[in-house]
Amino acid sequence: MSRASGSATRRGFLRGGLAAGAAVAAPTIIPSSALGLDGAVPPSERIVVGGIGIGRRGEYDLGCFLQQADVQFAAVCDVKEKRRNHVKGVIDKHHGSAACATYKDFRELLDRDDLDAVLIATGPNWHGLMAMLAARAGKDVYCEKPCTKNIAETLVHRDTMNRCGTVFQAGTQRRNLPHFAFACELARTGRLGTLKRVYAHPAGMKAATSGWLPEEPAPDSKIDDWDMYLGPAAWRPFNARTLADGFNFEKGGGMVGGGVLEWGSHCVDLCQWAVNDCPPPVEYAPPKGDELVCRYDNGCELVFREKGWIPLGSCPVRFEGTDGWVEAGDSGKMVLSSPELLAGRKVEEIGGYPATFHVRDFLDCVKTRGKPKGNAEAACNAHLACHAANIAIYLGRPVKLDLATTTFIDDEAANRLRSEARREPWQA
Amino acid sequence: MNRTKGMNPMDHTNHDTRVLTSIRLIRLAVATTVVMIAVGAHAAPTPTSTEAELIAILQGDGPEADKALACKFAAVNGSRAAVPAVAPLLRNPRLASWARIALEAIPGDEAAAALREATGTLDSRLLTGVIASLGVRGDAAAVPLLAGKLAAEDAEVAAAAAWSLGRIATPEAGLLLAGALEKAASPARLDAVAEAAVLCAANLHAAGKGEEAVALYGVVRAADVSEQRRAEAIRGTIIAKGREGIPLLVETLASPTKRLANMAVFTARDLGRGDAADATLAAEVDSALLKVIDGAIDAASGGNAVPRAVLLIDVLAERNAGGAREPVVAALTRMLSAPNPKPLRLAAIEALGRAGDAAVVGPLLIAAADEDPGIADTARAAVASLPGAAVDREIVARLQGADAKILPVLVELVGRRRIAAVAALLPLASHPEEKVRTATIVALGPTVDLANLDVLVAAATAPKSPGEGEAARTAVREASVRMPDRDGCAGKLATALEKAPAEAKVMLLDVIGEVGGTKAVETMATVARSGDEALEDAATRLLGKWMTADAAPVLLGLATAEPGGKFKTRALRGYIRIARQFVLPDGERAEMCRKVLAVAQEDADRKAVLEILVRYPSGATLAVAEEAAKMPGLEAEATKAANEIRAKVQPAKKAG
Repeated sequence: MSRASGSATRRGFLRGGLAAGAAVAAPTIIPSSALGLDGAVPPSERIVVGGIGIGRRGEYDLGCFLQQADVQFAAVCDVKEKRRNHVKGVIDKHHGSAACATYKDFRELLDRDDLDAVLIATGPNWHGLMAMLAARAGKDVYCEKPCTKNIAETLVHRDTMNRCGTVFQAGTQRRNLPHFAFACELARTGRLGTLKRVYAHPAGMKAATSGWLPEEPAPDSKIDDWDMYLGPAAWRPFNARTLADGFNFEKGGGMVGGGVLEWGSHCVDLCQWAVNDCPPPVEYAPPKGDELVCRYDNGCELVFREKGWIPLGSCPVRFEGTDGWVEAGDSGKMVLSSPELLAGRKVEEIGGYPATFHVRDFLDCVKTRGKPKGNAEAACNAHLACHAANIAIYLGRPVKLDLATTTFIDDEAANRLRSEARREPWQA
Repeated sequence: MNRTKGMNPMDHTNHDTRVLTSIRLIRLAVATTVVMIAVGAHAAPTPTSTEAELIAILQGDGPEADKALACKFAAVNGSRAAVPAVAPLLRNPRLASWARIALEAIPGDEAAAALREATGTLDSRLLTGVIASLGVRGDAAAVPLLAGKLAAEDAEVAAAAAWSLGRIATPEAGLLLAGALEKAASPARLDAVAEAAVLCAANLHAAGKGEEAVALYGVVRAADVSEQRRAEAIRGTIIAKGREGIPLLVETLASPTKRLANMAVFTARDLGRGDAADATLAAEVDSALLKVIDGAIDAASGGNAVPRAVLLIDVLAERNAGGAREPVVAALTRMLSAPNPKPLRLAAIEALGRAGDAAVVGPLLIAAADEDPGIADTARAAVASLPGAAVDREIVARLQGADAKILPVLVELVGRRRIAAVAALLPLASHPEEKVRTATIVALGPTVDLANLDVLVAAATAPKSPGEGEAARTAVREASVRMPDRDGCAGKLATALEKAPAEAKVMLLDVIGEVGGTKAVETMATVARSGDEALEDAATRLLGKWMTADAAPVLLGLATAEPGGKFKTRALRGYIRIARQFVLPDGERAEMCRKVLAVAQEDADRKAVLEILVRYPSGATLAVAEEAAKMPGLEAEATKAANEIRAKVQPAKKAG
C-alpha cells in the first residue's frame, strides 16, 4: 500500500487521479424493486449500507440487515479477495442485481457519498479505529464487539461518535432481547432492592495477545492485503495463521485482551445496563479461583464468574439485590428469586440471541438520529470495565480507577496500559 | 535464539511456560552456573524482565521478534534509561511501530525528546508515526515543529501534524490550525486541517476555554469545508455557546441540507441534559423546539413539514421522558386534536405516553375511543405506559359508570398496567357482553391473586366461548407463574386437575410444570404413575426439563420402577440431565452417576455418565469412574475417563 492514510479521507486522492482500481466493481443497473415500483420501500426512505470485513459473524449480521425492507446494501470491502467476492454474491443474490461494489481499501468505501451507514465486522484489531474513521466520513456505524482495544481508545471512540453526530450501535444485541431487557430493568428500577452484586460470564480470564509468528511468503496484496490487515497493529511478518485468525488478532491490543473483553463486552454490557449505565467500577481485583471481583463507586460489585451458573445457555448474567435476584442466559429464559418479580408481566422468551431486533433498533435511530440501545456511551462504560479488569489480570494485583480522569490511582504501570501506539500512519 | 516453529512469543500461555521454564532453570543453576549464563545471554523478554535485560535485548543481535516484545514490556516497565535503546528503532520500518509503543508510554521528557528529534530525520510514513505519537503524548513542546510540518509537501505528514496539534490543543495550537485553514492548498488538506481544528476546539472547550473554542469553530464554519466538518463545527458551537447557541440550533434544524439538519436533531436530543444538565437551558431548548414544531404544523400543507414536526415531537418526548414541564404537556395535548394530520396526532400521543402524567389520561382516553384503530391503539399504549399511581387511580375511578365503548378499554388498561383492582374486575367476569368478559379475563391474568385464581381456572376449563377459553388458558398460566406462594398455587391447580375435563388436564399440568416447586414435583410424580398415558407422557416430558434438582429422585424412581412405564428411558435421561447441567456438590453428583450406571441399559446413557464424570473431575467422580472400569463392556472407556480425571485432580510431579 502506498501512501496509506490514517488521517485524511481517500477522496482527495481519488480526485487527484489515483482512482484507478478504486471500485473493483462499479454499480450497474438498479432493479425495479429498488425503485419502489412494486410496493417496496422507495429509495428516498432507504438506508444505503456498506459492509466492511464481513466474515462468518459479519455474514450473520448482514443477513439481519438484508431482512429489513428499507436497507439497500450497496458495497462491501474486505482485504481478502475471496471474502469480498463471496459477500458480494450474497448481497447481489438478495437484491437481484449485480450492483454491490467491492473494495479492498475501506477508505474508498467510506468516500462514497451515497452510503448512509456501515456494518463493521472485521476482527477486533480494526473495530475501534475503523468506526471512528467511518464516523468522520459522516457514516452511521453498526460495529461488532469488542469495539475498542484499550481505555484511551474507548474514550476517544465515545467522543468521536458524539463530535461527529454519529448513530453508533455496538454489536451487543442482547440489549434488544426482552428477557435480558426485563432482567436489567428489574435491577435498574429497584425491584431487586439495593443492588449488591451483578455477575458476568467472562469465558476465560487470562491475559492474551497476538504474537510475531514465523515469517512466511506473503501473498499478492490483491488476494490478501496483509498490510491493510495489520492496520493499526504493530508490524509483524506475514503468517497465514495470523491472517486466518482475525477473530482474535490483537483483541485488546497490547497485552490485555482475552476472554474478559471478548465475552465481557456482552455480559458486562448487560451488567452495566443493570446498574443504569453508570460509570464503570472503581476497583478491580485480579482473579481468585473462578472469580474476578470489581466494585462500583456505590459499593455494588461486578463479579466475573466462570462457574456456578444456572443452565440458561451462554452469556449468562445474574443480578442480586437486597430483595431478590434474577439470572438470564441465551436460552431466552430467566430464573427469578420470586415469581412476584414478574408483577404480572409477560416476558417474551427469545432464545439464540438473534441480532435482528438490534439491527432494526439501529436503523430506526439512523432515521431519527436517536440513541440505539448499544450506543457509544453505553459501550464505552462496558468496555472501560473490561479493559480495567484485564489490566488487573495482567498485573496480577488490584487496580483503582479514578472516574474523573479515567486513570488509575497512583499506579504508573496500569496507566501505561491504558493506551498503545497505533502503527503508522493510522490515527484517529 | 532457536525458537520452536510456530510458537507465539506473545501468547501468555507461552509466556507462562517460559517463566516457569526460567524458574526451573534457575533452580538447576544452583548446580550449573553455565546454564544461568546461557539463559541470560539468550533469554527472550518476559513480563518480569528487568529494564537492563530489555535494554540488552534491544541493543543486541537477537531476533526482531524479541526486540518487538522488548518494546512492549518497556512500555510498561521501561524508564528514561531505555529511551536510547528504543529510539534507534524508529528508523526501522519493521520495528518503528513497536518502538513507538514504548516511546508513547514511557514518562518523562527523554521519550518525547527522542520523538521530536526523530522528526528531523524521518520522512513519509515513519514521520507521520512519530508526529502522531507527539500528539498522543500531548507534547506542547512539539508545537513549533508541528507548525512547521503543517505546510509539508507530503499531505500525509501535514495531516498528521494538524491532527497532533488538535490533540495537544493549546490556544497556540488552535491559532496555528485556524491559520492553516486559510492557507490549505487542496480540498483534502483543508478537510484534514478542519477536522483537527474541530478536535482542537472540542478539547479547548473541555479545558474551559470556551471562547477560544467558539472562535475556532467559527473559522471552520467560515471555510469551504465538507458538509460533515461544517456539521461538526456547528454542533460544537451550539454546545460551547449554551443558551446563546439556541438560535443556531433552530436555524440548523431548518437547514435544507440533510447532514446539517440531522446534526441539529442529534444535538437537540441532549442539549441541556445528561452529565451537563442545565434546567434553564433545557427549558429554553424545549420552548425553541415547540416553536419550530408549531411553525411546521402551520405549514403542514405539504413538503417535509409533517415528517419534520413528527421527528421533533419525538425529540421533545425523549428530552422530557418521565415528566415534562407544563407548557410541553399542554402543547402536545393540543396536537392530539382531530384537525391535525394523523402522523402528527400519533406522534403527540406517543410523546404524551412518554412525558405525560395523570392529567393527560382524559385526553388520551378520548383518543383511545377514536374511530381510527391506529389512533385508538396508540392511545391505549400511551396510557398503559404513563408513570405513576395517580394514573392507576384515575383509571379505576373511571370503571364505575363507564359506557360500553370505553369499558373494555379501561379494563384492558387495568390489565396492561397491572393495577391491583381485582375487586373491581371480578363482577365484570360475568358481564353480559362477551367483549367485556374476555377483556376482564385477560386483565385478570396479570392482576388476580391466589384466592381468586379459581375464577380463571373455571373460565379455562369450562369456557363460555372459544375466545374466552383461549384467553383464560393464557391468563391462568400468566397468573400462576407469578404467584409468590408456589406450592399453594400448584396445590390449587392440582385440585383443579383432578376435577378437570380430560381435554384440560394436560394444559393444567403444563401450568403446574411452569409454576415449579415442591408441590409441583409431587404432583408430577403422582401423575406420572397415574396410568393415563397422555398424562404420564406430559408429566415425564415436564420433569425432563425441570429447572431445579429436586426432580431428580422422582425421575430416578420412575426410571427404576418395576414393571415400569412406557417412559422409563425418558425419565432416566432427565435424571442424567440434572447430573450434567446443575450445580451440585461433588459427592452428590458422583452418587447420581453411580446410580445411573447401576440401572442404565443403553450404551449411550452409560457414555453420557462417563462424560459427566470427566466434566466434573473430583475424587468422588474418579471413584465412580474406577468402579465403571470394572463393568463389562465399559472397561476401556471408563479407564480412559478415569485417567483424564486423575490427570486433572492429581497435580503433576514437579521437575527437579
